[in-house]
Amino acid sequence: MAQSLIDLLRETHPDAIVSTPGHRGDEVVVVRREQLVDVCRFLKEDPRTDLKLLAQIAGVDLLTYATEATGGGALASIEVPAYDLERKRPVEPRYQVAYNLGSVVKKHRLRLRLELRSDDMKIPTVTGIWRTADWWERYIYDMFGVEFVGHPNLTRIMMYPEFQGFPLRKDYPVRKRQPLVPELDFPDLVRGPGPGPGGAGVPMSQTHVGRANVDPDAYD
Amino acid sequence: MSRLPVLKPEGNVPESQHLPPEESLPVLLTRSDEALGFFERKLSGALGWARANSLFQYPFVTACCGMEYMSVMAGRYDLARFGAEYPRFTPRQADLLMIVGTINVKQTPVLKRVYEQMTEPKWVMAFGVCASSGGFYDNYATTQGADRVIPVDVYVPGCPPRPEQVLDGLKILQEKIRSQRHQLHTVEKSREIEDADEEKKKRFLGKWLNR
Repeated sequence: MAQSLIDLLRETHPDAIVSTPGHRGDEVVVVRREQLVDVCRFLKEDPRTDLKLLAQIAGVDLLTYATEATGGGALASIEVPAYDLERKRPVEPRYQVAYNLGSVVKKHRLRLRLELRSDDMKIPTVTGIWRTADWWERYIYDMFGVEFVGHPNLTRIMMYPEFQGFPLRKDYPVRKRQPLVPELDFPDLVRGPGPGPGGAGVPMSQTHVGRANVDPDAYD
Repeated sequence: MSRLPVLKPEGNVPESQHLPPEESLPVLLTRSDEALGFFERKLSGALGWARANSLFQYPFVTACCGMEYMSVMAGRYDLARFGAEYPRFTPRQADLLMIVGTINVKQTPVLKRVYEQMTEPKWVMAFGVCASSGGFYDNYATTQGADRVIPVDVYVPGCPPRPEQVLDGLKILQEKIRSQRHQLHTVEKSREIEDADEEKKKRFLGKWLNR
């Protein structure tokens, strides 16, 4: 059903489509970043497509994708990040952002996908087309650090403003913590070493990055 | 009733009110000391009885354990049978802070403020594994147990805990409250006794060190 959408899109925006890696009727269109807004506006407003529902914007980090697929797996270490960026060059394009669109009336759906290089993580915003894109784009910014150009209020939506880094990137240390209030430090066999790069023995309040950024007046 | 070892009874009683350990008490007490000690035990018992059987709770409900908390409060399991009758929705009127659910890092300032707003004496129950240890949320956003931020008296494991477990935890907490002692007067050791103690300790250590 969505194949007809792709054919339509090929007719109207032939330059915008990079590829269509669909699988079993779950159709995906990889679009160019420059034509994203045009494509989105067309898909929403044209009566043949009628994709008025933006169900989700999702982010993907492909940094460890190849090793995980071959059974290597991400290193879940306390001190070492899951992937050592210094030693191995990241795959490019490293990030993907997917827009899951749907039409309630026409009962079809389509996924737009953007591929992003890690040195140029900017996407034009689609908040002018779907209002719900506002929070979804803040979510992607919060978790992956993708910058949405033209977004009215691009701030963190889930994590606190003092948080540093982007937690769903694969190179974020798995057990790194950034507490807001000083935490008691005590040895604990069950929970293992305390969270953070210091591990056991180092007071957690000193090891955490977030502590240095907390404004003491904001949280008494 | 002692099914489980109850931890140190001094719990949340401030440092100034701690009784000295038994062995450091002078052996010979005057009649006045004995009378005071008797009165102290009776008063401690009465206070403990009153406090243990009228626990006003503040439910700090953040996650799915809240369903189980409702079940505990409602008619079938009925926490009110054990004196924990009223949930108070202001921490200023509550004795028992029940941390029901996951505490994430963003919530810890709130939790800490709620705890500090409670009046003494106060007790804390960690309800479920998330409040006890972070549970399976071993990630960037979750505090690994509420006891990293505030002191906790009773841990109730389970994901979520059965209501019976919560009732059991409450009874253990009541046992702890009942066994707390409240000091009426300070027992000061005379200078000679202190010196004698020091000397005894030195002799004991010396025996081992010289070997």
